[in-house]
Amino acid sequence: MARVPIEEGFFRIPDDPGEPPRLLGSRCPTCGEVFFPRRFVCAQCLHEGTDDVELSTRGRLWTWTYSHVPMFGKVDASVPGYGVGQIDLPEGPRVQSILLGGPDDFEIGMEMEIDLEVLRENTDGDEVVIYRFRPVAGAEGSA
Amino acid sequence: MRRGLRFEGVAVAGIGMIRFGMMKDRPAVHLARDAGLLALHDAGMTLADIDEAFVAYITPGSMLGVKAMKELGLTGLPVNHTENASATGLVAFRDAAWAVASGRADVAMAIGFDKFTDMVGGGGGGSARDRIDAPILPAAYFALWAQRRMHERGTSVETFAKIAAKNWNYGAACPTAHRQTDHVVTAEEVLASRPVADPLTTMMCCPPDDGAACVILAREDLVRSRQPGRRIVRPLASALQSESYSRGHTFVGPVVGPSTMTSDTARECYEAAGIGPEDVHVAYCHDAFVNEELEYYELLGFCAEGEGDRLVADGETGPGGRIPFNTDGGLIARGHPGGPTGLAQIHECVQQLRGDATGRQVEGARVALAHLVGGGSVCTVNLLDAVD
Ligand SMILES: [Zn+2]
Repeated sequence: MARVPIEEGFFRIPDDPGEPPRLLGSRCPTCGEVFFPRRFVCAQCLHEGTDDVELSTRGRLWTWTYSHVPMFGKVDASVPGYGVGQIDLPEGPRVQSILLGGPDDFEIGMEMEIDLEVLRENTDGDEVVIYRFRPVAGAEGSA
Repeated sequence: MRRGLRFEGVAVAGIGMIRFGMMKDRPAVHLARDAGLLALHDAGMTLADIDEAFVAYITPGSMLGVKAMKELGLTGLPVNHTENASATGLVAFRDAAWAVASGRADVAMAIGFDKFTDMVGGGGGGSARDRIDAPILPAAYFALWAQRRMHERGTSVETFAKIAAKNWNYGAACPTAHRQTDHVVTAEEVLASRPVADPLTTMMCCPPDDGAACVILAREDLVRSRQPGRRIVRPLASALQSESYSRGHTFVGPVVGPSTMTSDTARECYEAAGIGPEDVHVAYCHDAFVNEELEYYELLGFCAEGEGDRLVADGETGPGGRIPFNTDGGLIARGHPGGPTGLAQIHECVQQLRGDATGRQVEGARVALAHLVGGGSVCTVNLLDAVD
């Protein structure tokens, strides 16, 4: 059974199931700013043409919330709610993502890592996956 | 060169809106018709007097703007379609004011309508989450901002609840507000309502609703000659921005921000008008989620950064305060159908500046400010004044 992304061009799925996925970004060759997802025109200096980069698998939680309403982004109607957060990656981009974990698991400033979640099986029998972030085991928040 | 617009020689000729609410069985174009007719009657006009129309709606519908205008008559007037997410109605107002100020129209209509009841149905289904750019609940997005505020400034949820209670209680005094309670809402009641996205509860969030609103703008000399003895309300200045890039921008998912967009847009508008926040008597902002209103006290310049909490504690943004905010209940109580929201803000600005806001009148109000942000994202700030 293969794993396929729900949408091409946003993240790479490693062959080794034990390895985390990698978000696909762009670096401006002129000003050095890094973006997620990939883009052609630099948003900072308007240079045309960027270099492909893969982004770090860990970052810091800038902010988060826990949504109690069964709507948008919820995978399973039996799940009581879901976390939403923004993660600052060391290269610069801030990534908004659904979070894996319970309502008491998150704290601003804590270290987060990327993971894959299986959404469903497609007609070819492949697992359709999307990226999520979860707290690194034992991580604590900081100012 | 980017700067705010200063309007010269433009005045409000008429306003009209229907009370927002759930109107499942009424077509959107009929909501628009009723708001449009109210504005025409207020102006003492028919559609034959309107040179150009700006139709504001978010819910997609091919030809919907022209069809809505046909409910008011078929006069051959040019019809423009405006969409800018939550800011749509204010942008139509700005465009109509600009049309008159530029001389291309003597009389211009901005008319907005939307029906949330036509949009709901999917949401929790598979389609939304099967995209990277899936929408998260709007409340969750603004809750992210609220959490950051609490972390950086020590803001308490009680402060958020106090603002929400103020807006609920203002709504009860406004006949066109969606939510009208039969009792005084307290911060405790707001806090005890159902959690939506921490720290926001249902009573801290705008309701889903339908509605329509309309504003007619005309050359000031025309309004003076047609409406002798009535206090003249004028659009003074307007600014509109989309985002400037800064580190921390999120490109995937819903976006409204960064917060500096509001302060930058406000500065442009104040500069164009030649006045400052100290000259404004009443203000309207995008309080779709209550923590936003707290931020906008600061970002619109009504207090220094970090002092919004004190403004709430002192009651400065409620009845009798230094700068009352959202006297029609705001998006939280008056409602937020989308396209008509900004025009409902102008409807209330005009009532306040005319001195007609019974039960919620800000004494001596001569200058009003209307602000909205919209997803994507955009921000608009508009100033109006009253002259005898
Ligand atoms: Zn660059």
